Amino acid sequence: MRDKLKECIKLLKAKGVDYADCRFVRRENEALRVSDGHVDSLSRTLDVGVGIRVLSKGSWGFASTANVTAGDLKKTANLAVQIARASAMTAHEPVVLAEQEPFVASYQTPFKKDPFEVSSETKIDLLMQSVEVLRANAKIKTAEGGMRFFKTKKHFVSTEGADIEQDLLESGGGYHAVAFDGKEAQRRSYPNSFGGDFCTKGYEFIESMDFLDNAERVREEAVALLKASPCPDTNTTIIITGPQMALQVHESCGHPIELDRVLGTEISLAGGSFMTVDKLNKLKYGSDIVNINADATTPGGLGTFGYDDEGVKAQRTPIIKKRKFVGYMTSRETAPIIGKKSNGTMRADGWNRVPIIRMTNVNLEPGTWELDDLIADTKQGILFDLNKSWSIDDLRLNFQFGVEAAWEIKNGVLGRMYKNATYTGITPEFWNSCDAICNRNHWRVWGVPNCGKGEPMQSAHVAHGVAPARFRNVKVGVSK
Amino acid sequence: MIGKEKLFKKLEGVLGRSKADQTEIVYLGSESGLTRYANSHIHQNVFEDNHTMIFRSVVGKQVGVASTNSLVTSDLHKTLADSLEIARKQPENPGFPGLPGPATYQEINTFDEATAKATPKDRAKIVKKIVGVAGRKKFTVAGSCATSRSEIAILNSLGVRAYQPTTAASVLMIPMSETSSGYASGTGRRFSDLDVDGMVARSVMKCDLAQNPKEMKPGDYEVILEPPAVAEMLEWLNYVSFGSKPFIQNMSFLSGNIGKSVTSDQISIYDNALDEKGVAFPFDFEGVPKKKVFFVQKGVAKGVVYDRATGLKAGKKSTGHAVTANNSDDGAFATNICMAPGKVSRDKMVSNMKRGILVTRFHYLNGLIDPRNSVLTGMTRDGTFYVEDGEIKYGLKNLRFTDSAMRALKTVIGISREREQIESWWSSVGCMTVPAIHLGSFKFTGKTG
Repeated sequence: MRDKLKECIKLLKAKGVDYADCRFVRRENEALRVSDGHVDSLSRTLDVGVGIRVLSKGSWGFASTANVTAGDLKKTANLAVQIARASAMTAHEPVVLAEQEPFVASYQTPFKKDPFEVSSETKIDLLMQSVEVLRANAKIKTAEGGMRFFKTKKHFVSTEGADIEQDLLESGGGYHAVAFDGKEAQRRSYPNSFGGDFCTKGYEFIESMDFLDNAERVREEAVALLKASPCPDTNTTIIITGPQMALQVHESCGHPIELDRVLGTEISLAGGSFMTVDKLNKLKYGSDIVNINADATTPGGLGTFGYDDEGVKAQRTPIIKKRKFVGYMTSRETAPIIGKKSNGTMRADGWNRVPIIRMTNVNLEPGTWELDDLIADTKQGILFDLNKSWSIDDLRLNFQFGVEAAWEIKNGVLGRMYKNATYTGITPEFWNSCDAICNRNHWRVWGVPNCGKGEPMQSAHVAHGVAPARFRNVKVGVSK
Repeated sequence: MIGKEKLFKKLEGVLGRSKADQTEIVYLGSESGLTRYANSHIHQNVFEDNHTMIFRSVVGKQVGVASTNSLVTSDLHKTLADSLEIARKQPENPGFPGLPGPATYQEINTFDEATAKATPKDRAKIVKKIVGVAGRKKFTVAGSCATSRSEIAILNSLGVRAYQPTTAASVLMIPMSETSSGYASGTGRRFSDLDVDGMVARSVMKCDLAQNPKEMKPGDYEVILEPPAVAEMLEWLNYVSFGSKPFIQNMSFLSGNIGKSVTSDQISIYDNALDEKGVAFPFDFEGVPKKKVFFVQKGVAKGVVYDRATGLKAGKKSTGHAVTANNSDDGAFATNICMAPGKVSRDKMVSNMKRGILVTRFHYLNGLIDPRNSVLTGMTRDGTFYVEDGEIKYGLKNLRFTDSAMRALKTVIGISREREQIESWWSSVGCMTVPAIHLGSFKFTGKTG
């Protein structure tokens, strides 16, 4: 493949393009789903192709093909040049790329057990046993579990001389139970909702998740939710547990710091950002204890890699430092606008998508509290656990999240359970009200394998290292 | 595009080698171009040539699925063998109904030669026109323009032979001033059917009208929801309630309510993939013919869509709404949601409003808060207006709503006779066809800033 990609680069250089890169991607995916005592689906997918990105006379063109013969790649390279010429039909300032060292390198995800070498019987057995425990209550009408594994080979070459090979491995899974009593239906999941948790590790990650040890608790909490009270409509103190904190960071910090979005290039789908360039190094984003970094080197993070899809090395970038907004996630095109070099966050959802700025591991740094102490320190409030619904406006300001389960906190003790609980706020006000974050004992990186952005739609694999945190005077309980 | 004869010849050669009891091959091939613009110029301009073959092998009640996007014959043979190996390694699935037999499909013209031949230059010309009109008002503009040609084929060892070539085109535009934005979009099988001039005029007018928006206190208001807003609500209701799986799992607002009144009797919501005025398609991804299915008819809950497996579980027949075997975890899915038109013109709808809010579209809706009660939340976007005494008075800052769709749809005042086709998550095989609706009560629960 290297020879074919380099032939393309040679051809594009001969055509006098400003810049070009060719990216080969081969992605294998295995997905299993067990439902109510039987295997619902077991599938394997192989997806292979090449994407060619061309900058010609200051405009971009991108063409991609699943046909990877030398002749098809040449045709695709020529098409990318034609597309770049069409892009020039609307007048604009020519694109200028930040300087970048052309790396010749390779990277491989560290792992212990290749999940593609673990038998499907072993995986099915673990899911079947978990689902069996979930079903051991007549009120559980549905119990499902699943696993997904991804093995991706990438080869990136550019007209500047970059030649980078990467082998990435991702694993994850989880389960949920739906309880029903004839009137009410409630769902409870483990270890996270919407498919579980994911990371860049091997099958050892699945084995570390203690599926069986948690199934009984999940089952009983799903059943208990049927009798739970609705969340009161009030303003109160809230504590948010890890998985929901991950989504809170994702929606209200991760997306607003994507510099392409900030510059308006995502308006047609997902909107803009309130964290505009004039606010860099000025905006007070959170309270004094809020520190957030975008770190593509976090061990095991689903947003961890060696090099981004522009050939920039993975790195850690401060975003919020002691409450001050100090950085964006950038690309080679956008970084010069704020006088910087790219910090390596351009990724594409496969060979057939153009790289765009994507979250890496956007992490909220740990604080000092033990979770038990934090609950004991809270006189009146609500603890929110595991995401159920999410919504945020087109500038990433007004958000509303719902969770699977919530508990009243009264005089430092967890009390009755609430169902269909929601909380809502305005991003900077909300983060300014953060007065406690749990310590590293409670800090964990949560994978988000379905972050949508771009047209055509791209689904990115990203992550957030977080610990449970407390927020004051938050509006809760808006449900209808 | 490979073409029907050549494609069947190649895939039948592979199907003939299968050692499974039953075998299915689904072919999805497309060449698609999308031109994206922002800040009044093209910033992303992409093309994709791809094809996916999904193999489903059945041994007794054991089922295995494998897919590849390589058309190389040896890779196809390997993927077929992989699907059989996967099937043999897993326990029997008593809920698997077997593959369907051959069927007759409604003949539908879903292909337009001119759209199939559309070039990056053709799309750039459309963008240039939009940028020019918006620029005359000193508005910047963002959006996208896409064209594609595709082939979908389903073959199975029981004799299913389904093939359909399609084209699709869509355009979307968001003009922006310093303080406002507008919106318009369109989709269809033919590029030439898109009324770009009308869309750009409408979206620029909205952006103009919405300038210097005022704040409105959240509360319960009369609303007019324009077609993009209605489509976004129905898309979420489809995801959480109109499919077989949420219905069977009692998570749908239709669960336990069949035959009961759930909305105003002016409301009818259905799936109809066979109407050539929409983005029609004759069969599902198992090769079962599509049927028209009512979810709500004149206010009464009627049913949901099924594939063969969830149909068997519920004691129903497939309605022709299966998705591909490698994506079937969430059961059957409706792809051509329609709301029946009413009798009022959209202009008259505004003049009928005493005091309320007109919503162009929503942003980032979510329907998972309490799906059994059809609770949705989301923000308004790209043109929210205050209406008084039958006139649009001024633009409003964006508002969040949180409300039960069933509750709100019980307060219908009027439904427009005009409907729009709105692009959906399933653009190659469907779209939403919806009117504007005038509701007597809609709960806004928050605002931006």
